[in-house]
Amino acid sequence: MEWKADWGLRARMVLTMALLFVVYLAFAGALAWYFGASLLVFALLMGGLSLGQYFFSDKLTLWSMGAREVSEDEYPHLHGVVGRLSQQADLPKPTVAVVDSRVPNAFATGRSKNHAAVCVTTGLLDALNDEEVEGVLAHELAHVKHRDMAVMTVASFLSTIAFIIVRWGWFLGGSRDRNQAPIWVAIVVSLVVWIVSYLLIRALSRYREFAADRGAALITGNPAALASALLKIDGRMDRVPTEDLREQAEMNAFFIIPLTGGTITRLFSTHPATEKRVERLRGMEKEMETTSTA
Amino acid sequence: MGLFDAVRDVLGLSTERDATREADPEDFFQLNSASVTMEADLDYEPATSAGLCLSAMSSTDFRSTLRDVEDVLEGGGFSEIRTDDHGYTWAVVERDDITDLTTELYVAADTLAERGYGDRLLAAVFGFDPLDGGRTVYWVYSFKRGSFYPFAPAGDHERDSSTEVSLQSVLDGELDVEDDTAYWYPLWPDAPGGHPWE
Repeated sequence: MEWKADWGLRARMVLTMALLFVVYLAFAGALAWYFGASLLVFALLMGGLSLGQYFFSDKLTLWSMGAREVSEDEYPHLHGVVGRLSQQADLPKPTVAVVDSRVPNAFATGRSKNHAAVCVTTGLLDALNDEEVEGVLAHELAHVKHRDMAVMTVASFLSTIAFIIVRWGWFLGGSRDRNQAPIWVAIVVSLVVWIVSYLLIRALSRYREFAADRGAALITGNPAALASALLKIDGRMDRVPTEDLREQAEMNAFFIIPLTGGTITRLFSTHPATEKRVERLRGMEKEMETTSTA
Repeated sequence: MGLFDAVRDVLGLSTERDATREADPEDFFQLNSASVTMEADLDYEPATSAGLCLSAMSSTDFRSTLRDVEDVLEGGGFSEIRTDDHGYTWAVVERDDITDLTTELYVAADTLAERGYGDRLLAAVFGFDPLDGGRTVYWVYSFKRGSFYPFAPAGDHERDSSTEVSLQSVLDGELDVEDDTAYWYPLWPDAPGGHPWE
């Protein structure tokens, strides 16, 4: 069967990235004009830090989440599922890791297809049936395939710089000569860039979730299983007290479902509402049942 | 990896393309001549059974397509559609001759492709038995990569990599062998010692 292309999603993804690019280009120009040569040192320093984080992203993320790489002997079934899904998605098999936690969740990390890791919690393996686990793993593999770690690192880089200027700009602008604009101009510009890019990055992140859901459904050929997995995880997440998990909040961007739900407005969230995701997956399920080639 | 592939990745479109890429089962026929080399140079004879591994869809039309596959495989010898412990579906055939095995699996794969399910095909697995006895080795055809790779199981979940390397070295040229060993996925049998589809 042939799947209908999701042109709306593609268009929104391209538009968001183009807007982000324009904002960043203007910002980089303004920075270069304002700071001149000293910017180069600053940019190199930040670039180096960012690159380090990017290169060790798989190890760093697994370590910060308390995840443990597991061997084929310990989790033969999990390894088998990841292997076959990778084969279907035309990916090398990523590192498989497990977090010992009752909260059902999963994430993917790593800078490239050859340095990727997928991780699930023990709670996820307990709560979901085989088909649902497969759906969730396929979603994470789609993230790997789409290079989400790299895309989000690049997308966030200048936003982080803008944030640093907003925060520490007063110290940076101490010894400027007189015919230059005061430092508060740079800070206000950075603040605007930070707010706009923040919203754009969040939107981009949500679109990438939809794309990964879609990719997962195409890998497994079973959109309904992922939909039911999302509903199950979501139902459980609501009952888990958020206080205990707060320190993990910044990891949300890589989770299949963010840890804190409901209170944050839609605009600020990294993930689309579960109902919307399920709705789209149901649409794919319907397409699958109704378009027969026979 | 060209620029277009990178753009496709970044836009989140590559899964769609790769997961639904059409397969070319005609490559199976490379095995007919390769089996001569396997016997002459490496002392392996073709096993009498082979399997086609696919990831089923939960739709009614797909199930009816599977019944069609079952129908085309019937007659001429033993064949079976079965599901393994991983939930994957296998079309297994037993024939005395390697050319019959490749033809039967070609017909099965082609039937699926014609009904629009070519992208659900994962692998075709052909066994070769050592003439002096011992563990069967396999040539696995990956539909996603469009190439073959060797799989020599040893023990429970271990691979005999030296045998795999020698299979690759001798048969490269006659078969399209996958260069990147990261894609040499094992297909473990449900119980140790059996064929991948058992």
